[in-house]
Amino acid sequence: MYDIPKLRRNLLRVFIYTVLVILLLLTIVPIWLLLVNATRSTTEIQQGISFLPSTHLVENYRILGSKGIDLIQGFSNSMFVAVASTIITVYFSFLTAYALVVYEFKGKEFFNNFVIVLVLIPTQLSIIGFYQYMSSLGLTDNYASLILPTIANAAGVFFGKQYFESMLIQDLIDAARIDGASEIGIFHRIMMPLAIPGAATFGIFAFVFSWNNFFNAFILISSFDKYTLPMLVQTLRGDVYRTEYGAIYVGLAITIVPILIVYALFSRYIVSGIAMGAVRE
Amino acid sequence: MGLFRIRKSTYGYIFITPFIIGFLVFGLYPLYNTFALSLTSTTLMNASSAEYIGLDNFKRLFADDFFMKGITNTWLLWLLNFTPQIGIALLLSAWFTNARLKIKAVGIWRALFYLPNLLMPATIAALFFSLFQFYGPVNQAIVRLGFVDEAVHFLQKVSVARILVIFIQWWMWFGQTVIIIMAGIAAIPIHLYEAAMVDGATGPQMFGRITLPLLKPIMIYVFVTSLVGGMQMFDIPFLLTDQRGGPSSSIMTNNILMYMKFSSSKGHIGAASSVGVLVFIMTTVVALGIFYFMRDRSAPSERKKQEKSLRPLRTQIPQVKAQE
Repeated sequence: MYDIPKLRRNLLRVFIYTVLVILLLLTIVPIWLLLVNATRSTTEIQQGISFLPSTHLVENYRILGSKGIDLIQGFSNSMFVAVASTIITVYFSFLTAYALVVYEFKGKEFFNNFVIVLVLIPTQLSIIGFYQYMSSLGLTDNYASLILPTIANAAGVFFGKQYFESMLIQDLIDAARIDGASEIGIFHRIMMPLAIPGAATFGIFAFVFSWNNFFNAFILISSFDKYTLPMLVQTLRGDVYRTEYGAIYVGLAITIVPILIVYALFSRYIVSGIAMGAVRE
Repeated sequence: MGLFRIRKSTYGYIFITPFIIGFLVFGLYPLYNTFALSLTSTTLMNASSAEYIGLDNFKRLFADDFFMKGITNTWLLWLLNFTPQIGIALLLSAWFTNARLKIKAVGIWRALFYLPNLLMPATIAALFFSLFQFYGPVNQAIVRLGFVDEAVHFLQKVSVARILVIFIQWWMWFGQTVIIIMAGIAAIPIHLYEAAMVDGATGPQMFGRITLPLLKPIMIYVFVTSLVGGMQMFDIPFLLTDQRGGPSSSIMTNNILMYMKFSSSKGHIGAASSVGVLVFIMTTVVALGIFYFMRDRSAPSERKKQEKSLRPLRTQIPQVKAQE
């Protein structure tokens, strides 16, 4: 490399790696502190910062459970809502996307553009109208109000379209039609199985989104036994736990450990999926 | 054959029907309902006796310093986290994609920088609350190291509360922005850089003259999606302090104000809706305006070129996956 002298380039490299390490510490240290503090007793936490885990995880968990917050219940509530939302949103998004890629019909171009505009619409701002409407249907404090709206997920349609467009599917469809398969049968038995990698990637995003969603659940769900995890996290700040730091950190850790595990296993797909959802015209 | 075509197009309609119904029932009607409620005096108590009051809710909002403060806060918190976010993301993307620098383990750096984005915002807010509270670890550390004599009430200080919200938002989103911008860079035809290198262009020159102009569509996308998200900012500022956007309403955002009206003892649904409506209009106008404005400013021929350069983006994606 003749244009940058070697020394200068090496100095630049040292600088870059320094910046990267600083950013990495900023990223990791708060999360690490959370996990470590979940294993330390309240006394230890009060004595100062440590980056090394301690041995009080089980004890902290017991204190957490003894104060009336049922995180297992919250965990299974969140799991139910997130799994149901994920299945529904992936299925209907990919069905819609498949129709847009495979069939020609009047109004398709309009619908395509409409989906793109929908991605940009700030949906949370209609929450009050949504709440009042759900209330008139008797669906507040009901998971249906969190799960059913995911049928129409514009970002999912966009993602599914990108995925189907990247697959060479026309020959397969033609072959299946000659064999007498029905159109919906082709989608269910041939296309969805082939699209599983894409569906799984988008499914992870849909799951994380639902799992982390605080605002909608906070507005719509009112019974304590139906609280999802982010709602319970918010109650951890209450008076009952004021001085039980170890227990609070365990409660916080429970909300992120499943996500950390999923990410450790599938980070490659997740990272490539972000680019896939974003790169558009 | 004609019959076959009709059959196929019918399936197109059948397959998109659930989406359309879902959108009408759970998207469009609630939006309409929010607009309708914003013109009434509806509260949680008077659902049956609510009256049509025209634009009174809006008049009240515009006369209310609190509402203006919410709008200002939201823009401030968003702009101050977005600017460093896009700046650092561009810098990292330039470094990561520079063939001469050969930065190692790019995939791992990116994956780690993105991690905070996946974590529950409610948990992150609670985490930073406990880190920065009076008896929290940050105070312990700075007292022990002798930076201050006495622990600081961080979360009661306007500047600290704002900086924390800005930092957390930045922390959660810069990794994602890096990934998106790098995908955009990966789609720029390599021969442009090769030609520039033959002409003796430096790394910064190539970044300024080739990468940045061709990234424009991606940058608009990042800008608009971040704006739309930022205008609805809720979880972090709501849960970081007193659930009212304190201290002194310094981190009270649009959505926090909307929630406060909704959850007030009377449950002012009409007034809360009017906040939603105004912010909805503001955000949509600005977002679609940027889209339109940015597209229209480039000459038609240039636009064609950009579209062409965008097309390879799609085919490039599987390669992004393969590179890691």
